[in-house]
Amino acid sequence: MSTQQPTDAEPNVETDADAESESESFTGTGLPRVEDHRILTGEAEYIHDVTPESCLHMALVRSMHAHAEIVDIDTSEAEDHPECELVLTAEDVKEQYNPMPTGIPEVETDDGVEPLEEWSLAGDVARFVGEPVAAVFATNRYVAEDAADLIDVEYDTKEAVADGMAAREDEVVVHESVGTNVIDGERIEFGDPETTFEEADHVVEGEYSWGRISGVPLETAGVVATYDDETDSFDIDCNIQLHTLVDDTIYETLGYDADDVRVNVPADVGGSYGTKIAIHRYCCLAAMASKELDRPIKFVEDRIENLQGGDMHCSDREYRMRMAVDDDGTMCGLDVWFVDDFGAFPRYPVNQVLKPLSVVTNSYAIDDVVYEYELALTNKTSQTAYRGFGVDPHIYALEMIVDEAAREVGMDPTEFRRRNLIEPDQMPYTLPSKNIYDSGDYPATLERIQEIIDDERDGGLLDPEVVGAKREEGKYRGVQPSVIIEPGVSGSDWTDRQRSDREELEGRSREEVAELPEHLRAELRADGTVRASLATDSSGQGHQTLVSQLLADELEILPSDIEVDYLDSVDAPTEYGSAASRMAVMLSGATVGVAERLLENAEELAADHWGVSSDGVQYRDGSVERVDGDDSLSLADLADIDADRDERLTQVSYNYDHPATDHEEFDEAFRRKFPVYPTAAFGANAPIVEVDVETGEVDILKFYTVRDCGTMLNPMIVEGQAHGGIAQGVGAALLEEFGYEDDGQPQAITLFDYLLPSIENVPEIEMEHTVTPSPYTETGAKGVGEGGMIDAPASIATSINAALDPLEIDEPADRIPVAPDHLRKKVRDADQ
Amino acid sequence: MSTDSTGDYDGPVTEEISVTVNGETVTAEVEPRLKLSDFLRNECGLHGVRVGCEHGVCGACTVQQEGRTVKSCLSYAVQADGMEIETVEGLAEDGSLHPIQEAFHETHALQCGFCTSGFVMATKELLEENPDPSREEIETGLADNICRCTGYQNIYEAVERAADRMEGGE
Repeated sequence: MSTQQPTDAEPNVETDADAESESESFTGTGLPRVEDHRILTGEAEYIHDVTPESCLHMALVRSMHAHAEIVDIDTSEAEDHPECELVLTAEDVKEQYNPMPTGIPEVETDDGVEPLEEWSLAGDVARFVGEPVAAVFATNRYVAEDAADLIDVEYDTKEAVADGMAAREDEVVVHESVGTNVIDGERIEFGDPETTFEEADHVVEGEYSWGRISGVPLETAGVVATYDDETDSFDIDCNIQLHTLVDDTIYETLGYDADDVRVNVPADVGGSYGTKIAIHRYCCLAAMASKELDRPIKFVEDRIENLQGGDMHCSDREYRMRMAVDDDGTMCGLDVWFVDDFGAFPRYPVNQVLKPLSVVTNSYAIDDVVYEYELALTNKTSQTAYRGFGVDPHIYALEMIVDEAAREVGMDPTEFRRRNLIEPDQMPYTLPSKNIYDSGDYPATLERIQEIIDDERDGGLLDPEVVGAKREEGKYRGVQPSVIIEPGVSGSDWTDRQRSDREELEGRSREEVAELPEHLRAELRADGTVRASLATDSSGQGHQTLVSQLLADELEILPSDIEVDYLDSVDAPTEYGSAASRMAVMLSGATVGVAERLLENAEELAADHWGVSSDGVQYRDGSVERVDGDDSLSLADLADIDADRDERLTQVSYNYDHPATDHEEFDEAFRRKFPVYPTAAFGANAPIVEVDVETGEVDILKFYTVRDCGTMLNPMIVEGQAHGGIAQGVGAALLEEFGYEDDGQPQAITLFDYLLPSIENVPEIEMEHTVTPSPYTETGAKGVGEGGMIDAPASIATSINAALDPLEIDEPADRIPVAPDHLRKKVRDADQ
Repeated sequence: MSTDSTGDYDGPVTEEISVTVNGETVTAEVEPRLKLSDFLRNECGLHGVRVGCEHGVCGACTVQQEGRTVKSCLSYAVQADGMEIETVEGLAEDGSLHPIQEAFHETHALQCGFCTSGFVMATKELLEENPDPSREEIETGLADNICRCTGYQNIYEAVERAADRMEGGE
């Protein structure tokens, strides 16, 4: 493989007309998106725009207590409201339906195995502020909320636990029958960490906190459920993410077969970033009422519901890191321990405590590793996925202990990092945790970002004179880069490790590994255009553009001759879908496959039509020609010829297998259910920060980044993903947190309290790319959806450490977000 | 569980209002508590008005009222009685995009698109007041809108490109 030199920071952005007329290949160009027109004109239909005639609206009564017994629910006044059609409580739900599937369905206790159930509505006990206890259905949302206000719930409050570390003590237990809050955990050793830590010249230790954050898309969760009495089935329009994978959370709760619950996601979803994977509670409640009332039911979460009790917070971790390091600056061993506060129920993303294994030592060659976690329940809203899926806190904590180790051995932190980087000749590199980095030149990337920083030291933002003058004003500037990996294209088999017998995994054979492919369909239409159908959902990534671009190249036609739509959960097979930095790789592989099949069939059809052998025909530029030059058939002709056939050759589908399945080197990770992520995009950031020691505020003056995601299918979209991820990383590092009082009352329930970065908070981002294709994927592309959110927080934190280095503050960025009050306390403590 | 309607309930109190929306007069009976954003979306069918927070932070519901941008989730429909409102649906003419919309498209200044109507409307006011804004002025002009996808980088580009085009006499 070849590594290109850094390209110009400007991506190759084409106008629609240029791209259509001049470009030889659409893939690799910044083709403007086909999604945009409908969005810009206001015509796009998001879930909140779906309002069937005669539909009723749902409002929820939510617990105001973090932990309380529900003594009584008086629904009579609400039921007397003339426009209220129905009230549901847990009693109704339990009578007819099932609990919602959870990530850890049962827990082994001293008394045997206890189920850990979560119901759509809380029954005897409310376990977090915002947990729904009753659902009200009425003519419109305003009235539904009026009626919800008329419901009187009598609570008997209990002591709550709202901190993961405190929860481990089990003084307050969130689920009494289970008897403990720590419902999962594992300690995994790779290599011989015990000896390494004993023999190393130094062992450094640090404790780091990652505050509870989430994606907080601008569009909240929403659903419209319609029950069909005749067929005893449901149509559920909603903005759930991964609707072909997680539809089981809906149909299992309802107690129906998958085929009787048609989950459909609009083409436009107002952002998800992982957070809408677990909105099934709303879908189920709306479906139940629709069946009861035989009318469509609509619900769109309001922002306060979303922030306080929307089942959508993410990682909330306390880390204890240890690193064994020798005098010569060699990182010898790594010991990771953390507790993740999952909130009241262990929902789907329990495996995000494991995903960091896919990048366990980041860009560093370290052979001996301990990885240990505890998953603790508390009286907070449950976790779901968020961009990075638990890798972002790991990389942050790891880079913090690397800073600490550099200090311990008295080495420049960049030089210390460089010495320990995985070298290009070690690629593909197998991590101790058995995942593999596919390709990349990490030292070159670190060198390039260092050059950029050096330029700023010469008359720029980091010029020693400027830095010195700023220090006089109490403003400390600094930057500290590192090379950070983005694991891409998750396999699916490992994701149920916590529901498997972990000891038995050691003897598991490769044949037992079941992977999910990516499904894609294409058909020729009568007018000669092509329709492709995605089996996944999108929330702003531009999948329709991407597929039309790739398919246009494969079929040698124009993107404008291709329309891309979406399949619902019944029409699509169960597959993984759009998450875990998968789509660039999986959709491009599926597109190449489906096009190949369509072309083969087109040739077969034409050969058959002319009565010649398949050698006598050739597909070129949107038509099939006879090799003897006598005739040709356009795509429209072929569709016409095919229309009368029983088995249609112009309608094809293709399942692209996960790219690691064909590579034996991944077998051990597959067998043992360790996270398999066969692409390693990487980058190095240089956020130049300025810390005001008087106020504790951090200003990022400029954010440089050098990134590599292999082949760029659409550089404009690649850069957009990086920009967005970095902006979310800025929010995570400096602004955002779902704080809680000790009694479990949430402190951030509006966007005045949960601070999303505005245009004033996100610095200018200057980006360069290198291109190191992946040897494992069809197009050389690597996953690219999560990188900025994974690497930006760690880079900002190390840069804050660097800025404050002259003040000898003990690990100033040991807590994320690095909020002003935290930094001020650090500065004050250092002064004393 | 279900209940029948009983008593002498006459439905909610309403008031007639008349609002000029994108050049057309809309007359409707509305409850005094109906938010302007819900009026535009549900009574006028203008779904480009997006509702993201309903407490005036995110800016997805930004429209122009009497030529000034307002967050339509923060006022009631009755307060707009007799006024002129413009939404993102009023920008494109004869099927061709407004230069601001065109610039957002060309520079990839939108991803999920939920904030986009609000940003386009805020940009319109910004450029009406300042046809050639600096980066700092763009920052100030768009600080009341949140985008969670783009990191704002391409939004700067879009505003600058639109400014160039509009100065060019479009």
